Amino acid sequence: MRLRPFALAEPESVPEAVEILARLDGEARIIAGGTALVPTMRLGLVTPDRLVSLHRIPGLSQIRVDKGVLEIGAMTSLAALARHEALRSAWLLLAQAAGRVATPAIRSTATLGGNLCYAEAASDPAPALLCLDAQVRVADSVGERVVPIGEFFTGFYETAVAPGEIVTGVRVPAAPAGARSGYLKFCPRSAEDKPLIGVAALLVLDAARRVGEIRVGLGGAAPTPLRARRAETAVKGQELTDSAIRGAADAAAGEAEPLSDLMGSADYRREMIRVWVRRLLTALRDGRSWSRPGGGPLDPGMRP
Amino acid sequence: MISIDFMLNGRPSRIEVPPHWTTLDLLRDGLALNGTKYGCGEGVCGTCTVLLDGEPVRSCLVLAARLRGRAVLTVEGLDRDGEPDRLQAAFARAGAVQCGFCTPGMLLSARALLASNPSPTEHDVREALAGNLCRCTGYTKIIEAVLAASADR
Repeated sequence: MRLRPFALAEPESVPEAVEILARLDGEARIIAGGTALVPTMRLGLVTPDRLVSLHRIPGLSQIRVDKGVLEIGAMTSLAALARHEALRSAWLLLAQAAGRVATPAIRSTATLGGNLCYAEAASDPAPALLCLDAQVRVADSVGERVVPIGEFFTGFYETAVAPGEIVTGVRVPAAPAGARSGYLKFCPRSAEDKPLIGVAALLVLDAARRVGEIRVGLGGAAPTPLRARRAETAVKGQELTDSAIRGAADAAAGEAEPLSDLMGSADYRREMIRVWVRRLLTALRDGRSWSRPGGGPLDPGMRP
Repeated sequence: MISIDFMLNGRPSRIEVPPHWTTLDLLRDGLALNGTKYGCGEGVCGTCTVLLDGEPVRSCLVLAARLRGRAVLTVEGLDRDGEPDRLQAAFARAGAVQCGFCTPGMLLSARALLASNPSPTEHDVREALAGNLCRCTGYTKIIEAVLAASADR
């Protein structure tokens, strides 16, 4: 079955792309990797007359480190993120989460910018980026603005990107010194699925083994990816005893606002958030690593 | 129509395609290369997998326009002068082909794996083939075949 015919623009620069979008006045859709948009079009859920593809814009697929900040072009593939040396050494959490998305032939095509703009609540990279305090670069015909990742997701499949704007990249500051981090996704159906819920966490234990810094990001836990602030507050400054970890897990389950769908009910998601936050924080406290960068769905640690 | 120049199975190609065609539309309907199968059309089943600059992609999801200046390898490009390549021979020997519908995608995903990881573990093979569904073999013989092909190197 063919896609419904559309006109395709292939701009070769960001200014050219935003000029086309401005001229078409919100009637065009942007296509990045297409791994989300093309199936949606094939199902007839969206029927754009015009697509603007970003694939010919040089520079949007680059990864570089600038003054300790990771700068990722929006068209960078998730596979490129998962295997990149800089990420594997200093932004391992993002490499892990990117390496957990779907399957190799999707990760080679899907882009980080596309993943964020699709705004899937159960995105794998989003909870990692929430923990890393990332910022999203957004350009229009006037210039560029930077949106903190915590303000990027505004609702169910909705983002802060306005018509006529393009996400051009993601800035990721360095993790705090001595941070340990991990990402776990729980896939009760098939291993290459999006997660029922995903949990990312980053924490720093001080010399007295108290929690100096902690950030917890959740996928599938609300209409948008969610930073679990109450879970963080529950254990900050405390020793990570089993009981403290249970407190954080309970807080995360409490602040989640999950939706019910064919994958699972809201109640089930809430309980799984409780379980997987507890497991991840325990593993990080004990220095166990359940997931490895680029690690696949059959990692034994992924089993409940 | 848009014009694209790209490498197809090692040969330079130039072709005009409608902008809404995917790579799979181009291969099957434009070029009559029917080895690449249309399965789900949503990037889930893996049978339309081809290699783009050596990386596995779902040809049903990638617009043909994106092939410009790049190299595509399909199952038709695997054989050496009519002889099956190492992976194809290993699939045949191991009985890794039953109905055959998933086989083109399996071969290309496996080829990408062996190119980046010449001595994979069984776990590596399972991960690399995780997105290629097979309803006949139960996967066991496919995994054996890929491991056998790697051991041959």
